[in-house]
Amino acid sequence: MKLTTKTSLSFISLSTIFFLIGSVFMYFAVRVILAEDLSSRLYQMQGNFIDNINSKNDINSASNQHVFINESSVINTTQFSDTVLIENDKYVLYRKICFYHNLQNKIYKVEILQSQAQTDLLIWRIVILNVALAMVFFFIIFFLNQISVRRGLKVFYSTVSKLENFNISKPELMYFENAEIDELKKLTEVLKKMSIKISSDFNEQKEYTENVSHEIQTPLAIISSKADELLQSENLKKEEMEQLEIIMNTTTRLAKINQALILLTKIDNRFYTDISVISIDKIIHEKLDFFSDLILEKKIILKTNICNTLDFKMNRYLADTLFLNIIKNAIMHNNINGSINILLEGNILQIMNTGPKLSNKENIFKRFVRSSNKDSLGIGLSIVKRVCNFYFIDINYSFDSVHRFNLNFKDEKKLL
Amino acid sequence: MHSKNKILLVEDESSLAKLVVKYLSDNSYVCTHVSRLKSARELLKKNSYNTVLLDLGLPDGDGLSLIKEIKQKDYTCGVIIISAKDGLNNKVEGLDLGADDYLTKPFFMPELNARVKSLIRRLNFEGNNEILIGALKVIPDQMRLVINDSDVELTNTEFNLLLYFTSNKNRVLSKTNLAEYMSSKYFDYGFSDDVIYGHIKNLKKKLEKSGAPDYIKNIYGVGYKFTV
Repeated sequence: MKLTTKTSLSFISLSTIFFLIGSVFMYFAVRVILAEDLSSRLYQMQGNFIDNINSKNDINSASNQHVFINESSVINTTQFSDTVLIENDKYVLYRKICFYHNLQNKIYKVEILQSQAQTDLLIWRIVILNVALAMVFFFIIFFLNQISVRRGLKVFYSTVSKLENFNISKPELMYFENAEIDELKKLTEVLKKMSIKISSDFNEQKEYTENVSHEIQTPLAIISSKADELLQSENLKKEEMEQLEIIMNTTTRLAKINQALILLTKIDNRFYTDISVISIDKIIHEKLDFFSDLILEKKIILKTNICNTLDFKMNRYLADTLFLNIIKNAIMHNNINGSINILLEGNILQIMNTGPKLSNKENIFKRFVRSSNKDSLGIGLSIVKRVCNFYFIDINYSFDSVHRFNLNFKDEKKLL
Repeated sequence: MHSKNKILLVEDESSLAKLVVKYLSDNSYVCTHVSRLKSARELLKKNSYNTVLLDLGLPDGDGLSLIKEIKQKDYTCGVIIISAKDGLNNKVEGLDLGADDYLTKPFFMPELNARVKSLIRRLNFEGNNEILIGALKVIPDQMRLVINDSDVELTNTEFNLLLYFTSNKNRVLSKTNLAEYMSSKYFDYGFSDDVIYGHIKNLKKKLEKSGAPDYIKNIYGVGYKFTV
């Protein structure tokens, strides 16, 4: 529900309640006023009646259908009351004054009636008119309110759409309109500061990861080069050479782990924000082609069954990383003379490969969990998983005589 | 052919620079080292070089800006970027600007050597070059090996290994180094010792069959050495 509708509705419902209470109150107030008015008229009629019979000295001459005269034995005080008469088969409400008059030593009880039908009608008319006016009034207020609020919130909506399209690597695209309303002005000011802070933090982080990479890789380069240099010396014992080889091997490994971890950090930090349309079917062929030497060397039988084209919006580098790693995994952990089966059907990509069974398949996507293959860093699949998570691609692994990876490119927003 | 090859190294990490200079000098290159872009520009104005080894993150600017200047002045001057920034963007941008190769730190010196050699060959002989070493005639651009006037059939991997050995003769090439060289195309594809052993065994067999002496010596537990 929109804010304007919400405020208008609560305003109208509250007003209606107060208005209904007010209407009831008004109804009774008008009634009292009109009753007083009627009473004063009846007093006047009483005066006229007395003047009339005093001058004529005949009480019965004043009797008519709304004046009833009866003899009475006692004198009571003057009283007002409501009464109902049947006229033409209709009940008609009357106001009645009852008083006692002494004429020629006789006491008469006189009742003068005055119809209330007119007053009743008047009250209802006033009430209906009041309700109708109020309705029109509310209606106008409601629409005026909507228009003015909408106009006031224009800046708000433009700010929201700017935020929706916020691209962390392009903060210069963030330009907020100036708002007239204080609350919105405050909001846009805070957002401006925040977006500047976010992008500066982001850039610092980016620089930091780049620097870490640089600062660590260079010393590693020196260590392995020095070890390699030492290895060339004459007269080294066999054990010494072996130890130098271990230093080189470990340093290389360390450098690769460092690079892989930096890649993972960069994915987490949304470093790769440029999006292009990736043709999944094409990229699979591209990567298989890339690894063709290795597939040939291991004498792997490759079967691909691409039923359809599939375009997906993602970062080019991450797409390369994803498919390089998952296809490399299928080759690397395969047997000699093994097989790889790739099936693309609809939005689902299936990669199946032969290979030794894993003891620990729950942790397959975790970092540094590796198979018996000691040359694996155990990080490739965790990169795959991370890229998949980033693009909401469902990935799961199962084993039934072959290793089976299922990727579901389900995010409709990223499909073409 | 090396004796005339001049290399300019632009690198701010002095200990790494010393290693590179020593290594390249040992391999009969003339290597000059500078650590700033400014001094590199001055030297490039005065002298001509066969190859420039360029680090990207330098204290007085980004090395990328220098690539264009080098290529405009002398197209046959090769540029190899050596950087710890392995970002694809850097690589693509560098190669787009005209760099000939890209080497990610850390790298092994023999690999650097192989790349420099192959680059100089490429830029100066335009594909019509042969490497004569012992009884071997290696033609890199046609991926051909000729021994005693007859062609020897080699797989891609075997040929690349042989080329790597000939570029680094009389040098102990460790298993790690060879694995790195072989996998550099495949990022962190791990070649196990037995895979390398298998390839080298096959290569040695083929060389032996063709009547060439046993140039590739196995240094047990460490690696191999190519000697003529």
